[in-house]
Amino acid sequence: MSVFEGLRFRKVYSPIHSLDPRIKFIYVIVIFVIAIIFWQVIPLLILFFMQLPFVLLARVQKQWLRSLRGAAFLATFIFLLNILATYISSGFVLLAFDFERAFALTLRFVVLVESFSVFFLTTSPDHLGLALEETRVPYEFAFAFTTAVRFVPVLAEEAQTIMDAQKARGLELEKGSLLKRIRNYVPVLIPLIVSAIRRSLELAEAMESRAWGATKKRTNLYSLRLHRGDFALIAIIIGIIIVAAYVYIYFFASIPAITQFLQL
Amino acid sequence: MAIIEIKNLTYTYPGATKPSINDVSLKVEKGEFVLITGPSGCGKTTLCRCFNGLVPHFYQGELKGEISVAGLETLKHHTHEMARHVGLVFQNPENQLFALSIEKDVAFGLENLGVSQAEMRQKVDWALHQTGIYDIRERSPHEISGGQQQRVAIASVLAMQPEVIVLDEPTSFLDPLSAEKIFEVIYELNRKQGITVILVEHRLDLTAKYTDHLIVMDEGKIFFEGDPRDILNSEQTRLIGVGIPKATLLYQMLKKDGLNLNKTTPLASEELADQLLEALKKW
Ligand SMILES: Nc1ncnc2c1ncn2[C@@H]1O[C@H](COP(=O)(O)OP(=O)(O)O)[C@@H](O)[C@H]1O
Ligand SMILES: [Mg+2]
Repeated sequence: MSVFEGLRFRKVYSPIHSLDPRIKFIYVIVIFVIAIIFWQVIPLLILFFMQLPFVLLARVQKQWLRSLRGAAFLATFIFLLNILATYISSGFVLLAFDFERAFALTLRFVVLVESFSVFFLTTSPDHLGLALEETRVPYEFAFAFTTAVRFVPVLAEEAQTIMDAQKARGLELEKGSLLKRIRNYVPVLIPLIVSAIRRSLELAEAMESRAWGATKKRTNLYSLRLHRGDFALIAIIIGIIIVAAYVYIYFFASIPAITQFLQL
Repeated sequence: MAIIEIKNLTYTYPGATKPSINDVSLKVEKGEFVLITGPSGCGKTTLCRCFNGLVPHFYQGELKGEISVAGLETLKHHTHEMARHVGLVFQNPENQLFALSIEKDVAFGLENLGVSQAEMRQKVDWALHQTGIYDIRERSPHEISGGQQQRVAIASVLAMQPEVIVLDEPTSFLDPLSAEKIFEVIYELNRKQGITVILVEHRLDLTAKYTDHLIVMDEGKIFFEGDPRDILNSEQTRLIGVGIPKATLLYQMLKKDGLNLNKTTPLASEELADQLLEALKKW
């Protein structure tokens, strides 16, 4: 059950959650681009810590830490691979600065993961669906997206029920070689697929009965409007762009490395 | 003119060998509360699909005869046109809700019709109030009970303000108490808003008292049609496999054993209780 709880979405209210998802997305893209442009540790650290107020304001620190932990494995891998590559290419010597560069590249990856996870952790699917509807994405896509979010937990629960039922009839899922184990899942998959097809037919019937496709000009119960918070975020985004551009143009070469400090 | 008129309707699903609806003729007047019952597989769901044109537009197949609902021939009007006039509520509440919040689901039909936002808000709120789910309008469908989900399904067709609402075994996934609440909501809509109701149900114990137009179907045909007190009192009805209300059965037994009860067949326990009290007083 606990696995499926994770799939279900709940409405959460916080200043960050109620921001316009489109603006939040632009914010993420800006952070993304800046993280790609800079390769030095200090600006990347700044970018990393800049997300913290968002995380705290949205009160998603637990989930945020979990997503970072999820990225830790890949981050370690990137770090070691970089060290190894420099070690080999520089003729089997390692300088302190090589560590710093490997660290910076890893940090860049972490910042990318972090900013996207902040976006997805603080944007509820219905908000995202609404944003899709309001941009020029065809309505069918937005509908497919929200319907998927709606039915993924339902299907997951159903899969669990079918698994329990088949186990009760003596099916052993966890036994045998890999191939055998995959085959074991056939009696679970077939009823699941059959039921999913029936479900989709019923859904189609219900949609038809509620005037699906009546007009080309669909309207919407909600509309996204920019509020104070959104304007604040736009101001922040512009500020970030100006600072980043300024630093990039005038100081890019003179951004100090951490190793330089340590040698002082 | 009757709001629903069916003449010699026969319908066969594509690939089926025998018709699922077989020479059915039916008239329903505006504002009626019609109850349809019959053993499973007798064509109740198929008949419901005829009312808003799902049969034949969605299901294809072969349709013969005439059917018009709210003055529109369903053969000539697509389901999305019929949707303004006929609302269909299905058996499984889970598969009728596709949005991530309840009010968004209720608005779905109006959004499809292109109704303006202000008008939509007003109609959605009205439908939410009518079905008693206004307070939970911002929840998501899996946070609420099956009974509430079914009320959302009712609200979502109600929002389009149809003249007719057709409900196909809306309570078969629900417990008796939630079922009773659903029936009360439906009855209120019929009585206060004057909406014509077609209800397909097995639970006659809870629903027979709402209607004076009962239809018993069997094997794609209308077997009996008329006053539930006559139909449910007949032996043949029981033999088809219709769930006769317990009050009616007990009434028949007591009557057979010579108890001098009132002539009108009771359909609900309260009615029988009154008759028994009356009989005991005379004793
Ligand atoms: N989609 C379908 N395709 C083919 N045959 C169907 C379909 N739906 C129902 N039937 C058949 O039509 C008959 C009537 O079914 P249905 O209307 O669902 O009965 P009820 O709702 O009274 O249980 C049954 O014999 C059933 O097998
Ligand atoms: Mg049925």
